[in-house]
Amino acid sequence: MTVLATDRMSNRPVVTIKLASTSDELLQCYALRAAVFMGEQQCPYWEEFDGNDYSASHLMLYVDGEPAASMRVRWFSGFAKLERAIILKRYRSMGLFVPFVEWARDFAAGKGYPKAYLHGQKRLWEIFEKQGFYKVNEQPFHFSDHEYGAFACELEVGENAPSVFTDPMVLNRPEDQLDRPGILEQSMERGASNPHAGWTERRAN
Amino acid sequence: MNSGVQSIGGVPVTTRLAMKMEDSLQAFAVRAACFIGELDVPFSEEFDGHDYGATHVIAYIGDEPIGTVRLRWFKSFAMCERLAVMRRFRGNNVGQLLLERCRQLAESRNCNMLYAQVLPSDTGYWEKQDWRRLVPEAMSSGPKPIVAMIKPVDPDKPMPEVEAPEAIVLRREPTLDSRGIPVGAIAN
Repeated sequence: MTVLATDRMSNRPVVTIKLASTSDELLQCYALRAAVFMGEQQCPYWEEFDGNDYSASHLMLYVDGEPAASMRVRWFSGFAKLERAIILKRYRSMGLFVPFVEWARDFAAGKGYPKAYLHGQKRLWEIFEKQGFYKVNEQPFHFSDHEYGAFACELEVGENAPSVFTDPMVLNRPEDQLDRPGILEQSMERGASNPHAGWTERRAN
Repeated sequence: MNSGVQSIGGVPVTTRLAMKMEDSLQAFAVRAACFIGELDVPFSEEFDGHDYGATHVIAYIGDEPIGTVRLRWFKSFAMCERLAVMRRFRGNNVGQLLLERCRQLAESRNCNMLYAQVLPSDTGYWEKQDWRRLVPEAMSSGPKPIVAMIKPVDPDKPMPEVEAPEAIVLRREPTLDSRGIPVGAIAN
């Protein structure tokens, strides 16, 4: 979780970005997408909820605790695909998009992905190019009534990025907080009582 | 009032009660599209904590969810709320179909009164469907004035005594989990 604009003495809104990690946060994500894609852009339900939501990571951005923006990330071999990125109407023009994409890229890089990839709507091409994305090729395509181009961006993967040699307990942490001990590290205090051992032995015999 | 099967462009419109998680998600998506996307209602107002004690009715054209209404059950009445129809399917009596399904459901549960809180500008829509005002004047539930409206489930049966339902249903949402007297009573 990241908190931006933390100067709490000011009256600037507090912006929080995190990986959706509860069913409530997932519902918030779906509601925001429905509001923007179905409500504003007239996208049919089955195109918006395309079957890929349960194999993806969902990022949530909050303004003063209220759900304001979301993004879906899907993981392919060698690259992370950023998609379904939206900002609720009332939170636009606050400059949220760039830090949100930045956070998503850091998140993907933190998991060890060397590349981010996205399908950019034509009206946003300039913004993506300014953010270090480049067109994968000159082949535009279209779906759900919009024209798209495929963009990619190299990510800087740090030395601490997870690998099979990483401390196993680091891999068990919440994925947006790989640098902090997680709940399973606390569980180590309980020791290894192997509660199912007896049951397994019965089965073996 | 026509409550038979309706269709849009030759495709029949059907209604169904939400039974599975995916169904509820469809109801929530339609509401989010209409209330958050179109009317700019904040998420936390739209999803107010009552969704998991309610029945959700969904209208479909083919397999596309296009409308929904939430039904909350009280001792002497059932409350229809969060009625929403996707913009491009409006003008086809989908709302009427959803409210008729509510009426049938209430009837099957021996509930003889439907209750709704309506914006003053929307009362004509409800009156056309045989709803009437509970009290003549508009009331206030927070910043927005609302009109309480009721409809008998079976016009031939007497309506139950109205037990000031407003005192129950206008409770401020943060106090949902608290005991005691509802704080959101109507200021007439």
